[in-house]
Amino acid sequence: MCNLPVRVVCRANAEYMSPSGKVPFIHVGNQVVSELGPIVQFVKAKGHSLSDGLDEVQKAEMKAYMELVNNMLLTAELYLQWCDDVTVEEITHPRYGSPYPWPLNRILAYQKQWEIRRKMKAIGWAGKSLEQVLEDVDQCCQALSQRLGTQPYFFNKQPTELDALVFGHLFTILTTQLTTDELSEKVKNYGNLTAFCRRIEQQYFEGHDKDNSGTAAARSAKRSLLR
Amino acid sequence: MAAPMELSCWGGDWGLPSLHPESLTVMAYAKFSGAPLTVNTINNSWRTPKGDVPVLISEDTVISQPAKILNFLRKQKYNADYELSAKQGADTLAYIALLEEKLLPALLHTFWVEAENYCSVTKPWFASRIPFPLSLYLPGKMSREALNRILLTKGGPPLYSLTEVEAQIYRDAKECLNLLSKRLGTSQFFFGNTPTTLDAFVFGFLAPVYKVCFPRVQLQEHLKQLPNLCRFCDDILTCYFRLTVSGHSPSGQDTADANLQKLTQLVNKESNLIEKMDDNLRKSPQHPPRKLTTLKLAAGGEESSPLNRLSP
Repeated sequence: MCNLPVRVVCRANAEYMSPSGKVPFIHVGNQVVSELGPIVQFVKAKGHSLSDGLDEVQKAEMKAYMELVNNMLLTAELYLQWCDDVTVEEITHPRYGSPYPWPLNRILAYQKQWEIRRKMKAIGWAGKSLEQVLEDVDQCCQALSQRLGTQPYFFNKQPTELDALVFGHLFTILTTQLTTDELSEKVKNYGNLTAFCRRIEQQYFEGHDKDNSGTAAARSAKRSLLR
Repeated sequence: MAAPMELSCWGGDWGLPSLHPESLTVMAYAKFSGAPLTVNTINNSWRTPKGDVPVLISEDTVISQPAKILNFLRKQKYNADYELSAKQGADTLAYIALLEEKLLPALLHTFWVEAENYCSVTKPWFASRIPFPLSLYLPGKMSREALNRILLTKGGPPLYSLTEVEAQIYRDAKECLNLLSKRLGTSQFFFGNTPTTLDAFVFGFLAPVYKVCFPRVQLQEHLKQLPNLCRFCDDILTCYFRLTVSGHSPSGQDTADANLQKLTQLVNKESNLIEKMDDNLRKSPQHPPRKLTTLKLAAGGEESSPLNRLSP
């Protein structure tokens, strides 16, 4: 969205290379910056920002909505991936452990699962059932849908960090194959959200992929919403 | 609709009906929506707090988390968000998420993790309200849970030590307070002139920071530099927790408007004057709230010691 040239590379040890242990991270010159917040600040310090045109109240709203997405959508995604036994067995463990040989794949997967479950317990999500989590996702999507309304982006004509964050989460939810389709159904209930994702995908990803000498992984990772 | 509802929660001090942010949120919402709630503060009896606090008991249903309690009250037709548009409802959710992510860790830290605060204020206060021998164990458990929560949610690399995590969470909390202040601006409540769920949550989180006298008070000092948030807390305290006549808030507010204007002028002076104003208001002749008499009697005994600490 900022029109910055970027090359996407997939690595198995990405989590270990990152300074904060979390992906994604960017490698620019001799600097490494990880996670969305710091990356946005870094890019802003270099002179590119998407939210300069917003006034103070709108910036406060944008930050609040970003926290909502982080709080609800991200936690729900983590819950579904790591705390729902069926999904864990069939999808998450094989996927997380796939770059490694046995027994490392099992050990690392269990270690990550234990870490995530501890975190869920600390914030009180461990006691939630899958239905409650899905209901929370529904509430969050409803809030996002109402905020978006009929506008092209959340803050009218220009995309901002919030649009990027929401697109990232919703696109992943809509295109990842899970054991059940309940999560993506919750998002599909809101037509303006799916239209929003489709619009961003068409505008920013299909054009760029043609210029990209992109790796095979990047091309296979691109799953179109227009199924 | 008239089924009596009981709320069990932590009691209050320093001019607040409760010290616990979640209990305060539920109480504030009940006042805003006019729900008739009998408040039972947890005290030295053998009805010990089991599991989550606050707990709402209505007939046979027991509900424990603030979000679920508010949902239940809304289903019983006590809805403070009736006049909000869909977008405002969405904004409410977003700002509540902001509070939980950015302000709550610092609040937990100030109350439960900061050693001086915990040992001199929080632990004795809570221990005095829990029967022996649980009073030896429960405050420590709450402190460990708070630290755990902070470390697990905020403490990953590149923040490797507790001091770095502390610095980060206080930075986040101050930014959150600034954002709330900008959003509130000069209006009386967050969505116009009537208080809503968001006001209840903001009040629940801000009032303990604002009123409780701790030895280490960096968050309180930052809050006092944002006069519109201080005015917001004081308004709710005076309108809804002192002057209510029959638990139906709007009628109490009409009679308090004249008092409110005077109060708003005085609130703009230094923070010491605000605390003295609270005392003056309590002594002045007004309708005493029927439901809160037990709270006031219980709080009356402890007020002398914080006041002594305040006087130079």
